[in-house]
Amino acid sequence: MDHCLVVKGLSKNYDSLPVLDNWNLSLNWGQRLVFLGPSGAGKTTFLKILAGLEEASQGHIENYCRKIGFVFQEPRLIPWRSVKENLLFINPRGDFASLLSRLRLAGFEDYFPSQLSAGMKQRVNLARALIIQPDLLILDEAFSSLDLSVKTSIMEDINQLWLENPFTIIAVTHDLKEALYMAERIIILSPRPARIMQEIEVNLEPERSFSSPGLLQLESDLIKLLCSFQAEV
Amino acid sequence: MKSLIHALIGIFLLLVVWQLLALILNKSIVPAPAETLSLLAQLLVSGPIILAAWQTAWKVFLALLLVLLIGLPLGLGLGLSKTLYNMFRPIIMVIQAVPVISWLSLVIFAWGIGWKGPVFIAFLSLLPLAILTTVAGVRNLDQNLLEMARLYRVPAGRVIRDIYLGSLLPFIAAILDVSIGQAWKVILVAEYLSGGKGLGVEILRMRMNIDFPGLWALTLLAVLLGIITERLIKKGLGRLSHQWIIA
Repeated sequence: MDHCLVVKGLSKNYDSLPVLDNWNLSLNWGQRLVFLGPSGAGKTTFLKILAGLEEASQGHIENYCRKIGFVFQEPRLIPWRSVKENLLFINPRGDFASLLSRLRLAGFEDYFPSQLSAGMKQRVNLARALIIQPDLLILDEAFSSLDLSVKTSIMEDINQLWLENPFTIIAVTHDLKEALYMAERIIILSPRPARIMQEIEVNLEPERSFSSPGLLQLESDLIKLLCSFQAEV
Repeated sequence: MKSLIHALIGIFLLLVVWQLLALILNKSIVPAPAETLSLLAQLLVSGPIILAAWQTAWKVFLALLLVLLIGLPLGLGLGLSKTLYNMFRPIIMVIQAVPVISWLSLVIFAWGIGWKGPVFIAFLSLLPLAILTTVAGVRNLDQNLLEMARLYRVPAGRVIRDIYLGSLLPFIAAILDVSIGQAWKVILVAEYLSGGKGLGVEILRMRMNIDFPGLWALTLLAVLLGIITERLIKKGLGRLSHQWIIA
């Protein structure tokens, strides 16, 4: 089985408000897919359906991933538990020490969330998702609130982990550079109700740099494409 | 240190007001603080009062224990289910509204004189507060944390220990904060009215003998015991909560 995920005719309404409109797509094991769309389009709703937190109104998702790690937009750490305990809460047998070390959090095992910076909290959020050794890692605008240097550093770490042991990644963002750095496939969504407008293949080397000419060229192409969509709307 | 000095100033002011009242009013009705303290010391040395205080104290502890053991799970259930809350809300309101003396008449009739009546009445007086405070705590739970736990399929026991208990601890502390003083008052009144053994019965005896200094000494003892129990329980709770408290 090549596909780890197949979405068939998926739609979602909240009462009379349509949020997702007839999504069809499939994803192979180890692929990195990024949804790019405006805020409030329904991207998070799709991720919640994927993670089993919400039901679809129509259609379905065939999800063959057994373990799903979810990096939330806000860290969602238990305030009265230490970094180590927040990870063990998810997986009491997880190897938190080596994971924290990989994510540059060695020495912060016994710190409480209130003692960490925003970037460090987001790293713990990521470590919590990785401690279950996920088949699928979901990133829900996970870096939108971070400054550029922290965001870049965390994304480089994720890229490095992926290069060592490719797991499937689905991310949503409205940041073009973020999307191009992470993805092999980018799906552009319409404003609500979100429809799949176009899919773009990102033919860049797996080991990427935010300032590589290829990535900057693709960013410029993507901006033109998005502007043309906006003109149509 | 600063707060201790402020507390000592407060106690000093209270003693000054008490002394002034003793000077203005009839000394046999309001004895001076020094006189009351020396009488209290004599009563404590004599023995039976310590036994009576112990009789009241364990009833207070038992009532508080029952309130927590029954009130917290009930509050948890009612906080989680709107249907249960709507069903039980009128019952809680009725329990809250029934006067202590009505309960007292019922329990004396049912169990006669003894420890069960005061404990039961204190329990019923404090139960609504424990339930409603816990309900407020449950409604205050961070839904994002619960969603995170659901997503990772964390077992219910771990969710209750790490998320529910941690979130509810400030509310449990609030329940105890209000309940300790209230429990002492209700148990003393119940003992006073229903008899048996305890500090309330000793206060009744002083009143019957028109021994106002004795009455004041026992009242002072009850106040001191109330404060000591509150401090002790808070200290215990502080230790227990250490693992939930944000550093």
